[in-house]
Amino acid sequence: MLTKLAFTGVKSRLKDYVVLFFGLVISSAIFYMFEALATNQSFIKANAQVTGASFIFQFGAILLTIITLVYIFYANSFLMSMRRHDYGLFMMLGAKQSKIGQLILVETTVIGTIASVVGAIVGCGLTGSIGALLMQHMLGEKLHHFSAVYGPAVVATIGLYIGLFLVAGVINRLALTKTPVLQLLKGDSQPNRPTLKPVSQILQVVFGLSFLVVGYYAMSHIKQLNLAAIPIALVTIVLGTYFLFNAIFVWLVVLLKRTNWATRGLGNFTLSQLSFRIRNYTKILSIVSILFALALGAITVGIGFNRQIKTMATANSAYSAALVDPSTKTNHLINKLNLATKATYSQKETKSTVYYNAGEFGQHPFQATGLGETTVFDSAKKSKLGTPKYIKLTVNQLKQNTDKLSFLQSGSQRIKAVKVVSASQFESVKGQPHQLTLFRVKDLKASGKLMKQIVKSAGITSYDNLPGSYGLFVMGTALFGGLEFMGFFLGIAFLAMLASCLMFKILSGAASDQRRYEMLNKIGTRPQILRRSIMNEILVLFALPALVGVVHVLFGLQMFKVMMIDPYNQLWLPFTIFFVLYMIYYVITVLLYEHIVLPKLKIDK
Amino acid sequence: MTTAPIVSVRDLHKIYGKAGQKQYEALKGINFDVQPGEFVGIMGASGSGKTTLLNILATLDSPTSGDVEINQQSLTSLKGNQIADFRAKQVGFIFQDFNLLENLTNYENIALPLSLQNVARKKIQPEVMRVAKQLDIEAILEKYPTEISGGQKQRIAAARALVAHPAILFGDEPTGALDSNSARDLLEMLTSVNSEQQVPVLLVTHDPFSASYCQRILFIKDGKIGQELKRAGQTRQQFYQAILDALGTFD
Repeated sequence: MLTKLAFTGVKSRLKDYVVLFFGLVISSAIFYMFEALATNQSFIKANAQVTGASFIFQFGAILLTIITLVYIFYANSFLMSMRRHDYGLFMMLGAKQSKIGQLILVETTVIGTIASVVGAIVGCGLTGSIGALLMQHMLGEKLHHFSAVYGPAVVATIGLYIGLFLVAGVINRLALTKTPVLQLLKGDSQPNRPTLKPVSQILQVVFGLSFLVVGYYAMSHIKQLNLAAIPIALVTIVLGTYFLFNAIFVWLVVLLKRTNWATRGLGNFTLSQLSFRIRNYTKILSIVSILFALALGAITVGIGFNRQIKTMATANSAYSAALVDPSTKTNHLINKLNLATKATYSQKETKSTVYYNAGEFGQHPFQATGLGETTVFDSAKKSKLGTPKYIKLTVNQLKQNTDKLSFLQSGSQRIKAVKVVSASQFESVKGQPHQLTLFRVKDLKASGKLMKQIVKSAGITSYDNLPGSYGLFVMGTALFGGLEFMGFFLGIAFLAMLASCLMFKILSGAASDQRRYEMLNKIGTRPQILRRSIMNEILVLFALPALVGVVHVLFGLQMFKVMMIDPYNQLWLPFTIFFVLYMIYYVITVLLYEHIVLPKLKIDK
Repeated sequence: MTTAPIVSVRDLHKIYGKAGQKQYEALKGINFDVQPGEFVGIMGASGSGKTTLLNILATLDSPTSGDVEINQQSLTSLKGNQIADFRAKQVGFIFQDFNLLENLTNYENIALPLSLQNVARKKIQPEVMRVAKQLDIEAILEKYPTEISGGQKQRIAAARALVAHPAILFGDEPTGALDSNSARDLLEMLTSVNSEQQVPVLLVTHDPFSASYCQRILFIKDGKIGQELKRAGQTRQQFYQAILDALGTFD
């Protein structure tokens, strides 16, 4: 009988359950997608480029598990907020506590099981479509041994979710059966007086800021602190964020309440709504802002790495490739490329030295990306990560920088000395004559297909034996491709989870807000004003952690100065992607919240 | 009195349920007027239709047929925002369960209707102080609703209902959740507001004691007005007895 009651309870709030269910499915689908891509051994083995990132994948999986835990906790509190009243009623009608506890456990596990199974199925679909597309785009190659359905990942996803839900069910059961019936029925309606305690608040601000300073300092001095920087930064930034939220949030609300804005429309109500839950929210807002920073940071760094590979490669050499004695077929292929420059120089190779004819360099000057060690970038292009400036070297300059030439020698020539001599001297040198063909394509990535054919036709088996930027580009992609994939993917997964956490946290309060909005409607508040108040309230809750998160990221990118040329380059791209996704969550939250709290206008015309 | 009535209800019907399905007619043709400055009570048992009637008067529900005019404005012609604005400007509402917002202070609760109309901050304060003084709640303005007694809460609610100078004050069992002393206080306060400021009051109740403060009582039964009782110079005790008698024969 009670089971029947419980399910009619679910039925009556079906829409809210659909929301919860949908969120869970998305979360488990993302988890599955990640697991399937990251743990598929045969796939990783077959795609040598991914192997390097295997360790990072494991790390990512752990992070994802942790945030999933947090997520399920909030999803559950939303579930409970919907059911509290029903359970209270059952208990008042004389249902035994053990029976209620059983009901909770069954309900939670049933929802968890269905959600994780459906999630795994959706995840398979996502992996097969978006996942494959993403991988293919990033690796630029056909995928081998790639399968959307991967048994161990299915088991891991369903196992983890059911396990977590079981734990959550037990916790819910304990919490609910210990709460007095009356409290279940009435819910919490205790006001939270936003008081200003200047001394403790100033102390908190000072502590918060100094923690942040320490954290930011640690991140920007990762070179000196090595790996210790990461735990230091993590702890201090988490603490700092929490203190800041705790101190400044209350202050902000109290200050805003004194302005004229507060007395316009529902301004005061909105602020009071915020201050009403202030203590509940500081924790989740600090968590969300940290996760926000991690997710945004991951995406930024991921995209940055991808862009950097090309830049690093092109900056390294003025030529895409150098080939010794290319066949006519190879030459034919080279001429098909979208070339920026091409030159062929004669060589004479002796036991220890490779001779070049200075006259040829006079006719077709040798190009370089700069003299000495540093690369000169094209200042006409504003970006630091732009195209390098290609300078034509005079014969004298070349004679002083013969290393530029020796870099382009491969195979047996690699360790031999370089001598640029006059035409007559060159004639007299006795050695094996060769032709060195140098060329630069306009776009490394776009020329990938032809370049591969050229490499094959020239009989080069290892990119180590292909001097020039193209070889570096291919090797760099292999090295950093995994990192980029990881960063991008983890970022999106994190974002989905953190935004859902925030969403469920906000929606958990919606049930108790219903009455307030009903009241406001009764005393004559325009529906748009109610809607605007909701939008403002939720906007603040979304914007605050985002703002703090962005600051964290801006400082956090300091850490990557060690590994990247310019981690701050073209920040707008990852930021835009991220904010668009975040905004989608915001809009969904607002719509759902409105659906729950806004009274249906009884008069429709 | 020759002036136009504040509330005018003509042939009001309300049917619940869709056509073709099982229907229930909650109001079966209600007609009555409330004159300026009147203190009118509507009495009836549970399910008699009095809450439906009040919801329609307060624009929270719409009638199936018939017309309601408040302050010479037909409610059926109102649309969208006009409905909300009408509630905010023309109607003051006191509920059985107070309906105060527990996350706002009492002062903020009272000021809310004015804020909703975007009255300037400087003008809000004297208005709030005026009703607060009138209802003797100045001392508890800075407290929160959960920190005061039921009787005080209802005074705050009354102050909120009166602050925007409504054309009429509706009370939906306002004494329902109060002890007898607080109930008496509130009713006396409503009486004085009614007589001093000429704010008409329409009280919906099933409690004869509350009803005895009215000047005229409409008895509603099964969706129709069955009987009307006027105080007409009787003392409150006499009127109370008359109501009890009427209830005895009415059922």
